[in-house]
Amino acid sequence: MRLFRLLHHWLVPHEANNHRAKALHHEALFAYVLLLAVFNLGIRYFHGKMPDVLGYATDIRVEQLVAATNAKRAEYGLSPVSLNGALSAAAAAKAADMFANNYWAHNSPGGKTPWDFIIGAGYRYTLAGENLAKNFQTSDGVVEAWMNSETHRANIVKGGYKEVGFAVVNGVLNGEETTLVVQMFGTTSAPIAQIPKAEAAGPAPTVAPTTAPVVEEVVPEPVALVPAEPAAVNTTPAPAPAANFGSGFSFERVVSVPKINISTLTSNVALVVVGLLIGLLAVDAFVIRKKRVVRLAGHNIAHILFLITMVISGLGIVRGSLL
Amino acid sequence: MKQQDLLNAIILICILGGGLFTFWTASGNIPLQLVIGGITTVAYVVWGIVHHILSGDFHRKVVIEYVLVGLIALVLLATLAV
Repeated sequence: MRLFRLLHHWLVPHEANNHRAKALHHEALFAYVLLLAVFNLGIRYFHGKMPDVLGYATDIRVEQLVAATNAKRAEYGLSPVSLNGALSAAAAAKAADMFANNYWAHNSPGGKTPWDFIIGAGYRYTLAGENLAKNFQTSDGVVEAWMNSETHRANIVKGGYKEVGFAVVNGVLNGEETTLVVQMFGTTSAPIAQIPKAEAAGPAPTVAPTTAPVVEEVVPEPVALVPAEPAAVNTTPAPAPAANFGSGFSFERVVSVPKINISTLTSNVALVVVGLLIGLLAVDAFVIRKKRVVRLAGHNIAHILFLITMVISGLGIVRGSLL
Repeated sequence: MKQQDLLNAIILICILGGGLFTFWTASGNIPLQLVIGGITTVAYVVWGIVHHILSGDFHRKVVIEYVLVGLIALVLLATLAV
């Protein structure tokens, strides 16, 4: 009975609580703000201290990225691109350089272009392009985001590309733990030294690979995502990714399964908090209307609409970004 | 519903709908989205104040309530953006 009275006092407007549920009084609303702020800061703190316990569930793998890319190309009636070792090495070198020099751009602060990494990896291209993505959680999420961007989609569904390389790697960029995905497309008119992984496992290539240097006019076609400045042939090898990540480091996947997924936790907390508030406001509005009580208070229906709008906005936030 | 109430409701829907649409167009840019969330919140609080002034039941308590509800929404948004 006492519990019932307590709940009634906190949840239902009546004379004793000044015709406003105690849980909607200013003190209570202020307490919610403080609790949510502490929760917010707590997540940031513990994520920094214990990312394995409280972190972002991530599962991005090169084989899935290749499959998803080719599935999109197939939808446009295009032939698949094959995974190329040299392009993947270029992508890994680019990712390593981005972490080492702390930048999120197609060109490095030192002026190094994507073409420099491709050529440095030994890939003599006639057509090349680069897509970048960071902080997505799944392979499909990355490719879908690229497809939703006109300029990135243009790379994925470009008929001229024959090969692709990927690097997927975790690191710290601008002080933030970042999962970086580098996708490099290319076409070369002559066979190159590296045998693409897909071909290595399959039937013998119709043209025998050669280790002889390819004397080829390099015609870089600047794609929408990269600077328009034509690339000069640069024979300086790209920095080895191992220099920054260690020799045994893999650039082929980032799979992270923390005990608590931050995205799930924050979404659930937001839904519970907003759900409770909306319930309280709805009960309050109903009782006050039924009893025809005149009081000084905000507009409950407006509060409900506002909270719904903000939580829909928040749930639609995509952490990942493209370049 | 009085004509003034209808106008207030339409303005509120425009504020919230406009905020939601602008938020969506800024997808991929979280700092900008948080700024848009902040602007939407300020617009909502101003709407609440004007609404109660026009209704003749304006009071400091009402302003505090709108500000607190706005803060709850903003902190929630910032939490969802972590």
